[in-house]
Parts: sequence; structure tokens; C-alpha cells
Amino acid sequence: MAAAGSGTPLEEEGPSGEAAAPQPQAPTSAPGARLSRLPLARVKALVKADPDVTLAGQEAIFILARAAELFVETIAKDAYCCAQQGKRKTLQRRDLDNAIEAVDEFAFLEGTLD
Amino acid sequence: GRRGAGRKPVWIRLWRRGKSGRRGGLRKRLETEARASAPSAMAERPEDLNLPNAVITRIIKEALPDGVNISKEARSAISRAASVFVLYATSCANNFAMKGKRKTLNASDVLSAMEEMEFQRFVTPLKEALEAYRREQKGKKEASEQKKKDKDKKTDAEEQDKSRDEDNEEDEERLEEEEQNEEEEVD
Repeated sequence: MAAAGSGTPLEEEGPSGEAAAPQPQAPTSAPGARLSRLPLARVKALVKADPDVTLAGQEAIFILARAAELFVETIAKDAYCCAQQGKRKTLQRRDLDNAIEAVDEFAFLEGTLD
Repeated sequence: GRRGAGRKPVWIRLWRRGKSGRRGGLRKRLETEARASAPSAMAERPEDLNLPNAVITRIIKEALPDGVNISKEARSAISRAASVFVLYATSCANNFAMKGKRKTLNASDVLSAMEEMEFQRFVTPLKEALEAYRREQKGKKEASEQKKKDKDKKTDAEEQDKSRDEDNEEDEERLEEEEQNEEEEVD
């Protein structure tokens, strides 16, 4: 199944401001199904970094961006559970390390964050 | 351990490789900076493989209860983790594309990757997001088609537009072209 045809080429090729908060790509068309906030150009750069990848459709890039957002939310929440046990109100790096060790789904991160 | 001893997946290798940079001048600059300031070269790596800090921070803050803060180190580590996540997901998704004898990663490859990576809980929200995205893309396409029609009232132009838009290959080629162009710039 090829990527769904779309008249517009990939957007966000222009300045994806590093420092400033980038604008959301597009207005939300349906409540609850918020479109990605991560700039697709950056996600695309990551995808292209893989030498085994030939091409990636626009939809795939979008889904990856959205998945990365969900991942950030998930890992932040899991790390927060650890911080809560220490009754702290600031998430520290060690909370993240604990979450990575405790949660099986985060095993792929071991050894990659240093 | 939880992973096979010594077995490092492709995406970890390329993550590390990406961190040190492939261009001579860049590597020199990174090394100088790394020597000057203790933290990992990762912090000085140009934005290519990083996701914007501001957006990551916002996502984290919205996921956590009010009044909860995050240290810079933790935020930075989460950002890196997100990049690694994308690389890992890409690699998994690519396996599915190859199994399907396709050269282009598509949305269902990514969804299959999520399941393989044990992030099934992401699949439903991702499918919803995909539907919204498709509706929006369709809306944009129709809007731009409408603009074209309004601009150019010739019947010939209309017929040309129709056949061009139905041709999915065009989009892939364009993407490929873009990618080739980008390759030239980067390397």
C-alpha cells in the first residue's frame, strides 16, 4: 500500500526553529485527534539517517512524529511516578533512569542516553 | 541482561555515528566543544537528529500535573530518548516494508512497528490521528485544486491537473527528488 496520494509535498522543509517554539503544523481538524507538534522535517531527518531506508511516505513521517509525542508523554509520566515516590516536585535524570530500568518497553533505551 | 549480550541494533550504531558527525570540520568542532565542556558530544550535536527543546518541554509539561518541573538534564535525556525511539521505530517499520517488498515506508508499517515494540497502546490514538491527518490532507488538496481551477479556466489545464493528481507515483518521486536534493546538501 503506497502512501496515500497527496498534492502537497512535505511541508516544514523551511526553517524549523531550534530555539523558538515552532508553530503547530496545521489546525486540528477534529477535537481529540490533535495533529503532531513535532516538526516533520526533523522527524524526516531521523528517518533518513537510517541507511536501510529508501523512502518514507508523508503519512509514515507524520505517524512517527505523533508516536514520538506519545512516547514523550508516556516516559515523562512513568518517570514522574518515580519522582513522586521521592516526594519531589522536579523530575530528575535519575527518575528517568529508574523508569527505563523498570519498564520493559523502555529496554531499547538502555545504553543510548549517555 | 534484557538484551542479547553484545548485540547492538543498527539504529544504535547509527545513533552513535550520527552523534559524532560525518564531516571533518564538524567533528573537529564537536571535539573541541566536548573537551571544553564536560557533557557528552550529544549536547553539541547540531540539530539534525535532535527534536526541538521547546516542543519536547511543552509536551512533557502537558503530560505532567501542574506545578511539576523538570530538570534540564531530564528534559534533555527525554529528548534524546525520543530521537532514539524514532530511529528504532523506523528500523522496525522498515523491516515490515521490506517484508512487503516495498521501498516506501508507509503508515501501516509504522503501526506494525509499534506493536512489535510493545507500544500497542499507541496504536489506537495513532490510527485516529492518521484519519484526521488524511482528512486534512484531502481538504488541502481539494482547496488547492479549487485554486488551480479558479486561476486557470482552460479545460486543458483541468484535465491535466486531474490526471496528475491521481498519479500517486508523482508524490513518491517528488519525495525522492527532495531527498536526493537534501542528500546533496547534507553530504
